[in-house]
This record gives sequence, structure tokens and C-alpha cells, in this order.
Amino acid sequence: MTLLSLHRRIAILGLLAAACRGGGPHVEVPPPTPAPGDTTCMLANGRTVARDTVSVAVSDPVAAAHAPLPRNEAERLVFGQLYESLIRLDCQGRPLPGLAKSWDQASGDRWAFTLRDNARFWDGAPVTARDVLASWRGRDPALAQSALIVDDHTLTVPGAGVPFQRFADQVLAVTKGAPGGGWPIGTGGYWMTHSNPASPDELVAQPIRPTPGRPALKIVMAAPTASRDALDAGADLLVTDDPATLEYARTLSGYADLPLEWGRAYVLLAPGRDKALAGDLRLETLREAVRQDARPAEWTGSGRYWFTDLSNCNLPAGRDTLGATGRRRRIAYDQSDRSAADVAARLVGLGVLGPGAVAAGVSGAAFASSLRAGGDAAYVLELPRRVYDACRAAVELPPWAAAGTVEPLLDVRAHAIVRRGLPRMALDWDGTLHIGPP
Amino acid sequence: MTFRARLLLGFGAVVLVPLTVFGLRIRAEMANRLAAEYQRRVAALVAVIRADLDQRSGDIASRLAALREALARDNRFRGQVVQGGDRTYVLDYAGDAMRLSGLSLLQIQDDAGRIVSSGHFRNEYDRTDPALPRLLATAPAGTALLRARGAEGPLLALARVDSVRLGSRAFTLVGGIAVDSSFLAHLTPDPELKVAVVLPGDSSAAADPTTQVVDSLTVPFVAGGDSAELQPARIMVSHSLASLAALRRGVAFSFLVAVLATAAIALVLASWLSTRISRPLTALAAKTADVDMDRLDVAFESDRADEIGALSRLLGAMTERLRAGAARLREAERRLAMGDLARQVNHDVKNGLIPIRNVFRHFVQAAREGPEPLADAFRDRQATVESSITYLENLASNYARLYPHPAGEACDVNAVVRETIGRMGDTGRAEIRLELMEGLPPVRADVLALRRILENLIGNAIDSLVDRPGSVRVSTDRGAPGNGTPPVRVIVADTGRGMTQDELNRAFDDFYTTKPGGTGLGLSIVRRLVLDASGSLRVETQPGAGSTFIVELPGVKA
Repeated sequence: MTLLSLHRRIAILGLLAAACRGGGPHVEVPPPTPAPGDTTCMLANGRTVARDTVSVAVSDPVAAAHAPLPRNEAERLVFGQLYESLIRLDCQGRPLPGLAKSWDQASGDRWAFTLRDNARFWDGAPVTARDVLASWRGRDPALAQSALIVDDHTLTVPGAGVPFQRFADQVLAVTKGAPGGGWPIGTGGYWMTHSNPASPDELVAQPIRPTPGRPALKIVMAAPTASRDALDAGADLLVTDDPATLEYARTLSGYADLPLEWGRAYVLLAPGRDKALAGDLRLETLREAVRQDARPAEWTGSGRYWFTDLSNCNLPAGRDTLGATGRRRRIAYDQSDRSAADVAARLVGLGVLGPGAVAAGVSGAAFASSLRAGGDAAYVLELPRRVYDACRAAVELPPWAAAGTVEPLLDVRAHAIVRRGLPRMALDWDGTLHIGPP
Repeated sequence: MTFRARLLLGFGAVVLVPLTVFGLRIRAEMANRLAAEYQRRVAALVAVIRADLDQRSGDIASRLAALREALARDNRFRGQVVQGGDRTYVLDYAGDAMRLSGLSLLQIQDDAGRIVSSGHFRNEYDRTDPALPRLLATAPAGTALLRARGAEGPLLALARVDSVRLGSRAFTLVGGIAVDSSFLAHLTPDPELKVAVVLPGDSSAAADPTTQVVDSLTVPFVAGGDSAELQPARIMVSHSLASLAALRRGVAFSFLVAVLATAAIALVLASWLSTRISRPLTALAAKTADVDMDRLDVAFESDRADEIGALSRLLGAMTERLRAGAARLREAERRLAMGDLARQVNHDVKNGLIPIRNVFRHFVQAAREGPEPLADAFRDRQATVESSITYLENLASNYARLYPHPAGEACDVNAVVRETIGRMGDTGRAEIRLELMEGLPPVRADVLALRRILENLIGNAIDSLVDRPGSVRVSTDRGAPGNGTPPVRVIVADTGRGMTQDELNRAFDDFYTTKPGGTGLGLSIVRRLVLDASGSLRVETQPGAGSTFIVELPGVKA
């Protein structure tokens, strides 16, 4: 698994570096729950028009074998409708009920979660605390071992060392295997019907029970270059960062362009340095280098980028054995990442590494290998802006990261192209869209 | 040096030297002609490339002119560069225009030399490079090689410059096509011809004239960066001499194979020829070595019609003449011996007759004196007369043995030896040992003569033991085989007093003897009898150690 894909996966799951850095003996107080009627994280596009089916166009493949852990943006969108963790976090990072209807501080510095009364799997079986632990056991055995079952609907977990927000991580989604394989059975508002052999690029997710304002979802997989074709074919929802598609959608009166959260950041990693390479650059001029929606790297709110301070994660101290002269004078990037190529080219154009340096696009596996070895003077890559657990995410950084510099350059975000009149959608902290009523 | 070695060297000189000279000459001529051909091809390609560059320069100019027209009509571009604001369209403009126009390099600068849009390096915007369009504008024919920056490395291009005015501002367009390996490969369809660009200061691309045929044309070059003037670059065309070298190696190898094969054939031929020539010569030499005064019966007959046959016949004639000369020599010796014998007989007879004549004179004188004195004289001189008569009888007997009458017939040597030993009876203190080889071929000789040979040799051997005990060994064996039946050897060896060299030199002379009372004819007779039997006689002697007489008689088929 490449670092990039892993970080995307973590971005779907993660939250809050502060909790990692804390690690104190007492549990932290969770952020405040949004007040009822708070529409801060709701995507609105005008008057809602009831409809039975919503067509969602995705540009990446969606595979049942990956569920419930998404590996791309399309899977994040689809799995978010099918599977639940104990809680959700809204776009402000405030907890929302998920599979658990409530939570409280229990004795012994533990958190107690109470499952909602009517929680059931798609097949109708009730969801118990044992099912929760059974799901966790395969993905986070340590957490599963530390959890205690109080009754069928209540379980406690230790609060120390585990950020509360982590219980929104899709890694901890509750599932069980389906007889005969296929899609794991979840507890979300939708269940995935079997694929139509006549249309292998089309999936249909049906609501568990008829609910007003919760239409069926038809997921259509279209190549990135065919995003505009999907809009022309009548897609109701398209999440994309392609500037040509966005420009085209803005010309279509039936669609609204809703920018999502600044979910990812392009960073410059330089091994063996203690001084920022791009520190003196005007990041505004760097913004024009990429073709997607970007802004100069800017952390809003409390704290800062999770990858800029990992001192409390007890990461092994990297040792630089190459030195500045032993590295290739080039800025390497994953050649499949167009924006990374643009950023690297701009850095070369600005002479960050001095005259004669070049930008080098490297294939995915070779890039991951080069990044681990730190044989190039610098690397441009994309990282999630938000992770559930910074120390868990930091493990995936190259081993020399502690002995080098990691500089955020640009924040980027995708846009949701939404047909006007579509039901309102909720935007979670990790950028997941939830279709239909909460 | 042997005849064979000389023959081999002769073959080498006659065959290999001309072949080698021929091969070297062919190689040199071939190299000269191919090198000249390569030079012509390189020069022709240089001319073609010059024309091709002119044509491509024209193509670039026409594409830039089309872009200039399109840019002048593009209000969006005009709006963004003149009025400011979001310049995404401007930044992407050169890239799109470059791909649409088929160029590899496109850069749009404003009147301050600031890059507002770059097709080959989108994100170098805002960099200033005012020298580039200025230098390109001063290039002969308006075209120059340009080393431009690229995100992933420098880009070498054949470039021109054009300009367009938008509002009150002038913009320059620098466009070009990449001069990369595919461009250079496209210039020549011939894989043996290589085209390379040698930039100023590029010493690594220097051609080695010993391995390549080279020609070039000069093209102005803009190094980029802070370069203030055009520099000369060269487009170098080279034709590798590797194929020529390979051809020369092939020819050399072929000639080497030919030389080795010829040398091998010459060696075999020379060996065969020398054998053909030397074998009869060796045989002639062996026959010639057998020729001796006592062995002149060697045959040199040959039916060859060549020099060897002539030489063989010459040697045969020479041997024939030697044989005749030897016969004449023996006759002269015989006559000389007869003369000596006559004189000796005369002398000996006179010696025997003188006492008798004196006795008769005494008798005549006594008869004159009367019967009584005659009787007294007879009594006194009777012994003298008898002694003289005995002397004469012995003398006659000895002379009678000088000339035998051989009768040639096949006889068994061993039988004759045994018979002779048996007739000799008591030999006193001398011990006679017989060592006779069985199965000997018969010899053609007179039995009586053979017996006399043996009697004389054995008798002499016994006599040599006169004052000390010793032995006489009589043996027979088979001699070295010649062309026919092997000869038979009779060896009489004693442990007697032996002979000095002087005695040996005279041993076969008539009337030479070292024995008291000897006639000195024994060995002379033996030698003559042996020669009459076509045999040979050899003596090995050492004073005080004895003598060995070896008689070799030709054998005949039984």
C-alpha cells in the first residue's frame, strides 16, 4: 500500500492530533455536540424536490472487497452511506450519534457508549456490543481487547491514550460477513444490492427502510475524463476536483457547485535539512501552479498541521546517512499526481534547489521506495489535512521525516456538483457526504 | 640445414610472402576506397541537414505567425494580460497553443522580458529572460539552437522568435521544435550515419577521427541564462569506421586462414616432396657406404628417368670402374707377386743348387784324383747333398701350395670346420673351442680351399701360443643381411701374442713371417683364397692379447 493511498484511507477515518499529543491520565472532554437545527455542515442548494433515486457519479472504482475501509474518494462516499462507526464528526469536528445513541464518562477513566435501541444489521439482526467488539477485533485488536461489555447495548473503552474522535473512524465501523461473500453487512441507512451484470459500472444502494427524503442511490462509475459526460447523462451528484469539469458545470444552470472542505494538503518533504526550503516563497504564486482549487497552505482553528509537530509520538529518530551532496538534485513526485507535478515544476521554476535541479515524476511503487530511502533532495506529495490519530498516521511517513523538514505548501479541495433540488447533504469532518436525512 | 628444411623455407618464400603482400595491399586499397565513400556520404548528409534545418525553420516561422494571429484575436488572453486578475488562462495558454501547433517549445514574454506563459515549462511564469528573444532576433536566418529550461531537465530546441502587440504592450513569442534523439535520428535514415549536436564547451562529444569520418555544420546557439551573445554550436555528422574495421578484421582473418592453410599445404607438400627426393638419395648413400675395395659388388641399377636415376647410374658406372680397377690392381699385384716369387724361386733354387754344384765340383776334383778320394768326398759331402735336396723339395712343396684350384660349390661351413679340426689331431697345450651356429646357409666355395683357409688360420693361432698356454676359439655365425641371403662368418680367435701395427700391415705380404722356419705364405694364401671365394677377411689384434681373424663368405640359398 502506498503512502498516498494510506493517507487517503486515514483521511477517511481519522481525527485530531491533539488527542495523540495529550496522552495524559485523564480522558478529555469531547467537543460540544452541534445544537439541533445547526446547519453549519449541511450542503444546501435550494428548494428540495422529492425523488426516488439519486444518481451519483464517481470517478474511481468501488470494490466490495475493500468495504468498509475506503481506498479512494468514491469508496469514501459510497461506504459512508453503508457503514457506521459509533459516532460521526460533523465538519466542525463535533460528535454526532452514529451507531451509538449516547456516550458518557464512566468510572476508571473510561468512555461508555450506548448503542441505539433499534440498531440492526441489514439482515435484520440486532446489533449488540459483542458485534461491535467482533468488528474491532480484526482491525484494532488492542482496542477490542481493552473494551468491556456492560450489556447488550453498552460497552466501555479506556479513555486514556485514545482520542475520543477516533470512534468516528471508519476503521471501527461495525460490520459482519455476508454469507457467500460480497458486500459486508453493515448497519447504515443503505444496503448495497448486488451489481447488475448488464451494467458492471453501476451499483444500486437501497434504503434499509422507506424513509421520506431518503432516495435510492444509483452509483455510476465513470472515468475521470468522462466526468462531463456523466453530468450530461443526468448525474445528480458528482464530487470532483477537475477544473475542466467544474468550469463546465458552472455553465449548467441545473447544477450547483458546492466546494467541500480543504481536505488535503500538498507538502514538500526534504530529508537531511533543518531549514525550510520553501520558507521564503510567496505561496500565493505557488497557488497558480496547480489547476485545481487550491489556496496557500493555511491552518485555521486551533493547533496546526498534524505533520508539522510529531514530537510527542515517540517516532524513531531518523538518521541521515546521505548528506546533502549524496542526494539527487531533483524534486520527486508521484507521476500519477498531476498537481504534485505542477507544484514540483513550480518549485524548480522558482529555483528552490538552485539552478540545474529538475522535477522528476516517478511511478507509484518507485516513488514510495525512493521516499523511504530519501535519496532525492526533496519530495512533493499529498497528505490529508485531518487525521483521526496523528501518531498512527505519522507511522506512514518516511523514517527520515524526523530528521528533515515537512512544509505545507497548498491546501486543495474537491467540489460537489449537485443537481438543484437534491435533498440536503451533511458534510462530515473527514469530507464524507451523507445523503438524506441524518 | 637439412634438405627438407630448405625445401620448406623455399615454399614459404615462394608462396606465403606473395600471398601476404597481396592481402595487405587488398586491405589498404579497400580501406582507402571505403573511407572515401564514407566521406562522400557524410558530406552529402551535411548538405541535406542544412536544407532540412532551413525547411524546419520556415515551418516554425509559419506556426509562430499563426499563433501570433490567434493571440491577437484572443480577447480572453488580452484581458488577463492587460487588465490583470485571474491568469489561469494565460498560464495554460502557451501549453495548449504549443501542443496544437506541434511545437515543442513556446514561451510568451511581455515587453519587460517577463515570462507570462510557457508551454514547455508552465510553471516558470514570472521569470525574466529578456536576452532570449533579443539573441534569437540577431541569429542568422532568424533561427538558433536554444537550451531552454524544463521542469524535468533542460530542453534543446531549434527556435525562432516572433512578436505581437496587444494594446499598448508588445509580447514576444519564442517557439521551437525539440532537437532530441528522435529529431537527430530522423535526420538520417542510415543507421551507420550518426548525427550529434556539439554545444560550446561540450568536450565529451568530440569525434575521434581514427574511428569516425566526420563533417559538421555550424548553427548559432543560445545557451540561456545570462548568456549575452550567440555562440557557435555544431551539428556533427559522423560515419563510424567500425564496419570498415570489422571488414578489415574479416579480410585479415580470411587471409590469415588462407596463409595458414597454404602453410599447412606447403608443409605437407614439402615434406612429401622432400621424402620423395631424399629417400632414394638416402638409399644411394647407404649403398655408397657399402662400397669398399673388398666390396665392389654393390648394385646401383635404377629405372628412374630423373636426376636420381642418372646419379644412381653414374654411381653404378663408377663402381664398375672401381671393380675393373681393383681387378687390374689385383692382377698387377699378382704379377708383382709372381715377379717376386720368380726372383725368390731363382734365389732359393740357386741357394739349393749352389751347395750341390760345389759338391759336384768337389766330386769332379776328387774323381780326377781317383776313386778313393771320390769315395771319401762322397762320404764327406753326402749329407750336404741330401740337405740341399731336402731343402729344394720343401721349397717345391711350399711353392706348390701358392696357387690352389678352387672349385665353387655349396658347402656347409660348420661341417668343414669340424672336419678340419678333426684332421688336426693333437694340438699340444692349445685348447680349441668350437662355437658353431646352427642353421647357417651354405656358402659357395671350394671345400679344399676352405679347409686350407681354416688349417692356416687355426695353425697360426696355435703357433701364436708357442710359449704359453691358451685357447683357440673357432666359431661361426650369420653376418649382417644384405639384399639377399646373409653371409656366413667364420671367426678364429686366439689368446696368443697378437700383432703390432707394423706386423699387421705386413701380415698378408708374401713370405713375411714371424715364426722360425715359417714360409711367410700362409696368410697370403688365406687372403687370396678368401677373395677368390668372393669373401672378405678382417683382422682384429692387440699385442699380448691375441688376434681374431674374421672370414665372411657370401651365403647362398640351400
